Amino acid sequence: MPARYFLSFSISLISCSVSLAAAPPAAINFDRQIRPILSDNCFTCHGPDEKHRMAGLHFDTKEGAFSKEGVIVGGDSAHSRMYLRVSNPNEAMRMPPAYSGHKLTPAQIDLIKAWIDQGAKWETHWAFLPPVPPELPEVTAKNWARNPIDRFVLAKLEKENLQPQPEAAKAVLLRRVTFDLTGLPPTPSELKAFLNDQSPNAYQKVVDRLLASPHYGERMAMQWLDFARYADTHGYHIDSAREMWPWRDWLIGAFNQNMPYDEFTIEQIAGDLLPDATQSQKIASGFNRNHMINFEGGAIPEEYQNEYIIDRIEATSTTWLGITLGCARCHDHKYDPLRQKDFYSFGAFFNSIDEKGLDGYKGNAVPFLQLPTDAQAHMKQQLLEAIKDKDKEIDAAEAQWEQQQRNVPVLDVSSGLVADYAFDDSLANRLQPDTVAKVVSGKFSFTQGRVHRAADFAEEANVNFGNTGEFDSAKPFSIAFWLKPEGPSGMAILQHYEQSPKSGPGYEVALDYCKENCNIIVRIRANGTDTGIETRSVQGVELDDWSHITVAYDGSGKANGIQIFINGHDVKTSTVLDRMTTPVSLKGDLQIGNKDWGTPLKGKLEDLRFYNRRLYASEANQLAVVNPIASVLQIPTGKRSEDQTKWLRAYFLKDVANPAEKQVGIDRATLNRGKEQFDREIDSTMVMKELPKPRDTFVLLRGDYRNHGDKVEPNTPGILPPLPKDAPRNRLTLAKWLVDPANPLVARVVVNHFWQMYFGIGLVKTSEDFGSQGDPPANQDLLDWLATEFVRTKWDVRGLQRLIVTSAVYRQASTVSPELLERDPENRLLARGPRFRLPAEMVRDNALAVSGLMNDKIGGASVRPYQPKGLWEEMAFGGDFSAQTYEQSHGSDLYRRSMYTFWKRTVPYPSLNTFDAPDREKCTARRGTTNTPLQALVLMNDPTFVEAARALAEREIKEAGSDEPGRIRYGFMLATAREPSANELGILQGLYQKELSHYTKDPAAAQKLLSVGESKGTVKCDPAELAAYTLVSSTILNMDETITKN
Amino acid sequence: MNPVRERELSLTRRQLFGNASKGIGVAALASLLNRKLFADESAVGGLADLPHFAPKAKRVIYLHQSGAPSQIELFDYKPKLAGIAGTELPDSVRQGQRITGMTSGQNSLPIAPSIFKFNRAGASGTWISELLPHTAKIVDDIAIIKTVNTDAINHDPAITFIQTGFMQPGRPSMGSWVTYGLGSENQNLPAFVVLLSQANALNRDQPLFTRLWSSGFLPSKYQGVRFRASGDPVLFLANPGGIDAETRRSMLDAVAELNQVTEKSYGDPEIATRISQYEMAYRMQSSVPELTDLSKEPDSTFELYGPDSRKAGTYAANCLMARRLAERGVRFIQLYHRGWDQHNDLPRDLALQCGGTDQASAALVTDLKQRGLLDDTLVVWGGEFGRTVYCQGHLTKDNYGRDHHPRCFAMWFAGGGFKPGITIGETDDFSYNVTADPVPIHDVQATVLHCLGIDHTRLTYKFQGRHFRLTDVAGVVNQKVLA
Repeated sequence: MPARYFLSFSISLISCSVSLAAAPPAAINFDRQIRPILSDNCFTCHGPDEKHRMAGLHFDTKEGAFSKEGVIVGGDSAHSRMYLRVSNPNEAMRMPPAYSGHKLTPAQIDLIKAWIDQGAKWETHWAFLPPVPPELPEVTAKNWARNPIDRFVLAKLEKENLQPQPEAAKAVLLRRVTFDLTGLPPTPSELKAFLNDQSPNAYQKVVDRLLASPHYGERMAMQWLDFARYADTHGYHIDSAREMWPWRDWLIGAFNQNMPYDEFTIEQIAGDLLPDATQSQKIASGFNRNHMINFEGGAIPEEYQNEYIIDRIEATSTTWLGITLGCARCHDHKYDPLRQKDFYSFGAFFNSIDEKGLDGYKGNAVPFLQLPTDAQAHMKQQLLEAIKDKDKEIDAAEAQWEQQQRNVPVLDVSSGLVADYAFDDSLANRLQPDTVAKVVSGKFSFTQGRVHRAADFAEEANVNFGNTGEFDSAKPFSIAFWLKPEGPSGMAILQHYEQSPKSGPGYEVALDYCKENCNIIVRIRANGTDTGIETRSVQGVELDDWSHITVAYDGSGKANGIQIFINGHDVKTSTVLDRMTTPVSLKGDLQIGNKDWGTPLKGKLEDLRFYNRRLYASEANQLAVVNPIASVLQIPTGKRSEDQTKWLRAYFLKDVANPAEKQVGIDRATLNRGKEQFDREIDSTMVMKELPKPRDTFVLLRGDYRNHGDKVEPNTPGILPPLPKDAPRNRLTLAKWLVDPANPLVARVVVNHFWQMYFGIGLVKTSEDFGSQGDPPANQDLLDWLATEFVRTKWDVRGLQRLIVTSAVYRQASTVSPELLERDPENRLLARGPRFRLPAEMVRDNALAVSGLMNDKIGGASVRPYQPKGLWEEMAFGGDFSAQTYEQSHGSDLYRRSMYTFWKRTVPYPSLNTFDAPDREKCTARRGTTNTPLQALVLMNDPTFVEAARALAEREIKEAGSDEPGRIRYGFMLATAREPSANELGILQGLYQKELSHYTKDPAAAQKLLSVGESKGTVKCDPAELAAYTLVSSTILNMDETITKN
Repeated sequence: MNPVRERELSLTRRQLFGNASKGIGVAALASLLNRKLFADESAVGGLADLPHFAPKAKRVIYLHQSGAPSQIELFDYKPKLAGIAGTELPDSVRQGQRITGMTSGQNSLPIAPSIFKFNRAGASGTWISELLPHTAKIVDDIAIIKTVNTDAINHDPAITFIQTGFMQPGRPSMGSWVTYGLGSENQNLPAFVVLLSQANALNRDQPLFTRLWSSGFLPSKYQGVRFRASGDPVLFLANPGGIDAETRRSMLDAVAELNQVTEKSYGDPEIATRISQYEMAYRMQSSVPELTDLSKEPDSTFELYGPDSRKAGTYAANCLMARRLAERGVRFIQLYHRGWDQHNDLPRDLALQCGGTDQASAALVTDLKQRGLLDDTLVVWGGEFGRTVYCQGHLTKDNYGRDHHPRCFAMWFAGGGFKPGITIGETDDFSYNVTADPVPIHDVQATVLHCLGIDHTRLTYKFQGRHFRLTDVAGVVNQKVLA
């Protein structure tokens, strides 16, 4: 409908549309001013998504916009249908239509008019053009600028008639840069040293010291953990524990070694594919194993396998490309020139990992890398050698036995045998070589069996054996075969029905519903599903292993007339149905794998026999054990399958060996269990590892894993530069392509991330979206200069930090006048220094550091500090899974830096979560910074902060002499890196005096306050005094300034 | 409110409390004051253009029954199943629909009729299970939809879908959207409160996740705040041992004064906000205990909600708490009750679940109605999907289980603009397929928002370049259920 309106527009309405613009507008920048209007209001119907495009018109590309004559007429808005439609006074004719929910403002309409009248110049979206190093702009206040960053910022300020702020006070600056580069507050001695250092390069020296600190790597890693969606649990459903901290350690180390960003990228995307990849490079590839992993009972593996790939696409494209590829999951992107095909082609790079759709029941999901310590490796070696020694002893004993057995003849059980399928590469019945079973459908083949050859029902093969096995329910019969079930539980093994399982009559042997050990069901149906007999074995067969099954029926028409033997042993059965009203004749065809008759067999079958009599236990044993063992023994040692060798060994140890030999076997098993248990204690980390043969990748229609569209090859989005023609299409090529200087996005995106870390907001505010719906850069010249400079300096990450924190822009005071606040509330122009609340981790780390409680150990497994009781338990699944109950750490682990706090995705650590730390379910490019009453409650009452206040008070008493104002001043200074003013000191002293008298009167209350937390007090003094200082210290820890980077 | 004025007011209030506290409970007075004196300032936050039209409901109480209660035993009466017990689910009914990995391997899918009886109830003559005698009594006050359907067949994606409009994590929950759009009606309590209760069934599955009440990409202040039955009702609400209310007040006064000094030197408006957030925290320290203290409720209340309502943390106690929260103008009250996942031993466990919830759910509706709150409070009851007509595991005469069924399930709604005493939607004889009036999850969400005066297509948030909404790209307001 809207399409027709657009095309049938009548020119007579022109006179109605008069621009309201008063002055001639300045030169319009299409990319900044016009594209965002079009993108936000028009692209849904006139954008890149062809399927939902109206009137064949689209404004996402130049070709599209100018393809129809008269839509945009450069220099003549009065004859441009685009303008006429958006400015149309008739609501029915106006674009965008009311039902779209979009509406242009008069100012936007004027902009469109002005743009057309100025010639309708089209520009490609800035972010898709590679950055070119801009010229340094001329500025008036040349002396202010310390480095090129300042020139770009100052040029803008001068244009806006704004003055930068003077440099922040030394103490403020030291605290700011120390948090920014290490995540920690400066110590009193660092503060003193800096305040006393009058040399012109005093600040540079501080920056160098901080950049060399091992805590620098931690601080840099902190932001990266959000991109990487790092967590210590799997995230979906049961949300049990995983172990990815070795990857986190790698990350901290990479920053501390100042690994160039291109290498850093390549190792995380494809470290495993590097030639002769080191252990460290393999660990690095865990970046894309940090996604959530599922194993909910009953979930469908393909569905989640697909989600993992989608998560990798989203995390990789958000982190490195700053584009929202995720929007193209279900359809072509609505705003950016990204096709759905681009999304899945990108996903194809990540679709060949040797992983499972459902995994993680017991910790890490495959593939993972074991990381034994030297001692562990040594221990494991010893275990392996001891096992080898035992093997040698058993080998010798077994060889001796074999020697004696070699010529024992095989006596077949042939009496009453009516059909015998050996599956020796033929479907013929050995007794009647002319009767050959037929493959009806599916892929059927022959393969190595337990003893000889076997039938392989791998891919829904349906085989019809004709009238083999026609019996009578009133007469005895038996069926025997080897089975290796490889499919879902609940499969039918063989079925013999006249019509169908529902109408009967007939019989079948099937596997019951199970997890690992599946019971055998034998069913003889009369007519319909409710007459007949059915029995079920009480113990079952293992999936993915060979078992011999004999079903012997005595013809009684009773359920207990059916006997089931597994591996020659008579197993107990339970009756399910016992209603054989009249005997039936069991006619029809024997079938295996008929999909219409139930879940078809997936697995292998060998030596299928039918007898017209009931087999006895000794005969079942002969078929299952005696004869097969004898047959295998006739195979020369070197020609036996691995399975046969193992089987013989087990048989020998169980049924042949003398007590001494048996003991060796038991010892060997004990050693092996020890090794397995030991393996579980060895740390591991999930990594990327390719399948030998890549999986096929398809476009998924509407993003649904069940709807395959076209097959796609690994490729990068068409809007970006192509991959080198002859490079292999794998992750390593993708990684190298990302950091190729020709890539217009990657360097800009990363410098923007760092900028965001320092200034709270990136030069591009939407750091996750550089596309046409993202915010335009506040200072594109600066962004482009930083990006090109970063590449020019060979991706020197530490150098980039130095450049930013030594700029005059960064060093400004953060005070703001009401006028400036109104003009630039978000500080996009940078006429002042950054001021915002510390990130969640630093709020807590600051309290731990200034109180002296902090354990600043770097790296290692995550820890579990104080947390209110029951938080996990009341939401958890429970059972034997890990991370269902919170076992709090003790001792120094209570005071580790917050980045090491155990990150449970479904119940995030409450005090970090309250300060906007994400749950890490998805890649997060920027956190919010909220200001809530719950934050006040955490700082007031969380035992972490109450204990820190007490420890801070003790520190004041121990380290700041004996006078009260001196102690309070010291506590204030520790928390804020500055001396309190007389006014501030007065407020705190007043509080101290009041509370001292209160606690003196109520010593029990003082005792209670001092007993919060597990750390022991370190000073001996009047409890009332310490309690009063604790309260003053808590007040200091609650101050806005304390939790803020000023 | 202007934070400076806020603080002045709080000082004034304190003077009042200082004088009054000798006679009347400070908390009670605070509660009265905030409701009456500051009524004109009651709406805090919210979007300027909201509500989009006159709302019927001001708030929502969502009683989520986690694990998925069986519609076949409770609301979707299928008398014909009795005659075909144990027979196979016809292929013509299943139509090749996917089933979970828990029963896909099952050799047979035998029909299991409800072991529980149904009776007609109310003036509407609605068929309802004998397991729900109390719900039967309010049946003329509720609208039952028998044809809600979902796309997910496992708990994690299904519960994430019904709570956030999308099966994968990352989107804001319904409560977050509503409070983001409409703000708070209360100055002393969070606008979005979450209450959990544990299973009555012996099999306690399934787990819950904070993502169900998370704010996703909305600012984190819109996430639900858990009220807990043990420990602090709100995390870190209580002062530590050794800090009494007076000491806390002195300390907060010092914090406020110090923050005012900082505000003067930096001019950052965040500081003023922080000052007011500390005041709100202080008010919560009295308003929350007052809220959770049930000692003033008369015996008749506990009789209405049942004996469990005296035990903190039970579903019944949470229903009562929900009413108290609604009275205080909390915008979105989200309950979760665990234990509805009856894969096996359904007759035993479903009866236990109903025994633990039926009376309280009905009492809540009755109580709200008596207090005149049902007109502007919408009560929602339901799970994340339904259960299969066929048996999971062994079917015997008196025991069976049911697997997950996404294609139809029942929810009910009371008050807040829903038409009372109606049943919407028809399913086939197997409670397997919808035969009339399907109501997809997004329609449920669109309809709930509609009752709150929100056009679900216009409550959006731009994230990653896209205008996201609760109903993703779908959702139609269901007019049939609206009064």
